[in-house]
Amino acid sequence: MSSSTLTIASRIVNQLIRDRRTIVLLVIVPLVIASLVGVSVPDKRILDYTAPAILAVLILFFGFLLTGISFLRERSQGTLERLMASPVSRLDIVGGYLLGFLLFAVLQTMVLFFYFIYVLNVSFYGDLWQILVFQVLIGIGAVCMGTFFSVLAKNEFQMVQFIPMIIVPQMFLCGLLWPVSQMPEYLQWLANCLPMTHGVEGIRALMLQGQNLLDIGKEVGVLAAYAVGLLILAALTLRRGASG
Amino acid sequence: MPVTTPKNQFSGPAVEVDKLSFSYSRLKVVDGLSLGVPKGISFGLLGPNGAGKTTLIRLLVGLLQPRSGTIRTLGQKPSPKIAHLIGYMPQLSSLYAELSVIQNVEFFARIYRLTDKTERKRRVEEAIKLVDLWEHRRKSAMNLSGGMKQRASLACAIVHNPPLLFLDEPTVGLDPELRVTFWEYFSALTRQGATLIISSHTMDDAAHCDRLAFMRDGKVIAEGTPDELRQATGRPQATLEDAFLHFVRREVKKNVE
Repeated sequence: MSSSTLTIASRIVNQLIRDRRTIVLLVIVPLVIASLVGVSVPDKRILDYTAPAILAVLILFFGFLLTGISFLRERSQGTLERLMASPVSRLDIVGGYLLGFLLFAVLQTMVLFFYFIYVLNVSFYGDLWQILVFQVLIGIGAVCMGTFFSVLAKNEFQMVQFIPMIIVPQMFLCGLLWPVSQMPEYLQWLANCLPMTHGVEGIRALMLQGQNLLDIGKEVGVLAAYAVGLLILAALTLRRGASG
Repeated sequence: MPVTTPKNQFSGPAVEVDKLSFSYSRLKVVDGLSLGVPKGISFGLLGPNGAGKTTLIRLLVGLLQPRSGTIRTLGQKPSPKIAHLIGYMPQLSSLYAELSVIQNVEFFARIYRLTDKTERKRRVEEAIKLVDLWEHRRKSAMNLSGGMKQRASLACAIVHNPPLLFLDEPTVGLDPELRVTFWEYFSALTRQGATLIISSHTMDDAAHCDRLAFMRDGKVIAEGTPDELRQATGRPQATLEDAFLHFVRREVKKNVE
């Protein structure tokens, strides 16, 4: 890892720390959502089933939204243009974003995880470190997805418009609300092409069935493929919009 | 005002451009432009909005790839290899809004490989003091006035003391006093051997430059020292504005013929 990657990552951490609303959005809002689910769910078994999915869904949602908007601002305020004229490489830039946002993703996962386990008494049979590794994998895909889609948006409003197009359909199809296996066959096929579905299935297996990362090789593989593909797309399209 | 001598071993011209062309879709923005900028001078790109100044600077720093023609910056094709020898101040203030002035400048110091902590601290402090923002160093960029943002942006571009600086309209939004300070600093830099390429559409800036290129429709319509350009009008009292209009009329006439 180059020093430029670390410099960019530490800048992102500094930016987020100085922006209190974003910290609230990353830490407090997920806790409020978790509490609402915890209080409103009629049966603890449903909560056990839903809680891991919330972990996966929120990391993908916030990773996509925050990176997308951050990159969009980086383009619109001219800082990306300045970076692209400096000695840093595109991979340094994307790598820095990944590292910076993943630190917050890990923090968010841990806060939410302990809240589920110790406050809402969600059942848990796996290893925390394996959950964190898996969440980081989902986060990498989310950050790269946000970076890539920011190229297609001209302003923050347009970036937010991607949420009902990219994130919300995945939330309905990923098995968060009802099992994928109960959907019509063509929707199951579609759901199995989406990263959120594999994120939800993988984390349920880790948390509820006590499986390890090797046991969920298919989910890890699909998410890794998404992450690599989106990373390449993000790096290739980074220059667009950086120079007018 | 303290200025550190920039490192530059290359002995040829700072910038050489030959028959350079660039277009956005079908719109030709730079049209067969040739230019040579000797080392150690301030070189002004002067022209109205849409003349192609910003696009030319983006081509010179390697942000855009030419459709045809060649560019030599410090003897090499613009690439990340020589990016640490170049300072670039874009037209937008290009700061991280949430970060303070000192955090912004420090970030670019690190990006430009100022690895020694003591040296980096000294340069960051020097750059911020130079643009007269030391008292405001802890303010977030989003809370700065337009002129202050411009000054902070300049501090980010000069923090690594590059031998070649591209400044896209650096004096926009500055009060007259600070404008003079900036030009004093620019002159100090050129005396130390640095080369400055500055785009502007104000004649005030043009008068400070050692050499000027008048630009219009993606072409250089005249090049020379401010005195040479004024004298070319044939009127001893002519201003640079008169000189610019003289060359524009000559160009229009040439095109009609």
